[in-house]
Amino acid sequence: MSANAGSLKQHEATAAEEDLLRAGVYDVLASVFRREPDAGFLSDLQRLQGDDTPIGQAFAALAARAGSIDPTAARHEYGDLFIGLGRGELVPYGSYYLTGFLNEKPLAVLRDDMARLGIVRQEGVAEPEDHIASLCEMMAGLIRGRFLEPAPVKLQRAFFERHLAPWAGHFFSDVEAAKSADLYRPAGTIGRLFMEIETAAFAMEE
Amino acid sequence: MKDRKDDQTVSARRDFLKLSTLGVAAAGAAAAIAPVKPAEAAEPEGTGYRETAHVRTYYETARF
Repeated sequence: MSANAGSLKQHEATAAEEDLLRAGVYDVLASVFRREPDAGFLSDLQRLQGDDTPIGQAFAALAARAGSIDPTAARHEYGDLFIGLGRGELVPYGSYYLTGFLNEKPLAVLRDDMARLGIVRQEGVAEPEDHIASLCEMMAGLIRGRFLEPAPVKLQRAFFERHLAPWAGHFFSDVEAAKSADLYRPAGTIGRLFMEIETAAFAMEE
Repeated sequence: MKDRKDDQTVSARRDFLKLSTLGVAAAGAAAAIAPVKPAEAAEPEGTGYRETAHVRTYYETARF
């Protein structure tokens, strides 16, 4: 069931500022890693700004690179990094990072949790659910309570610790270090720093 | 009901998150992020995931 726009707006309005920021960072990561960029998306990215904190600098760097890179080169970079011939330089799936193979047990565990959380895929989406962009999208959805009330921090933490914490930091570090990465290098930095921030913040709940 | 320690813990986490992520928002990135997001969330075929009704029941039990 999808709730009406009115109740969504209400939740957005009442959600705490830092939670909207977190959901916003997850949204950026999901958008960046989901598919190859087109000119419109690159122009969206150019509007990102940041201050002189490390994560702020990474946002500014991503915006700058989005402004200077040729759209065709950006598309090729995405392909080289994540798709490739056979496979890309990196394989952005949790199961692959944790077991060396796609579609292994970590994906089954995720599907089980998704079923229990009531998260379903749109029809026609074929890629496994443990893609980094999908997991970031799910975290943003849990934080925002995209259709219902926001998930409690305890639940967000459980999902994060089970499905992102074991591998996402490694993945983002690999993006930063990847040979083919230019536009995506600062996106890797944003992801790595943000996973550290989330980990530290959840630990304060104890 | 929360005791004061719980409230202080929650507040410490919130303060930490604000300090850590405000670098992104302070300069206006949060506003810039918004146009990126609805394009994904609004189009039914574009976004992979949505939540269904029984998530509410699940939230009430809140355990994996």
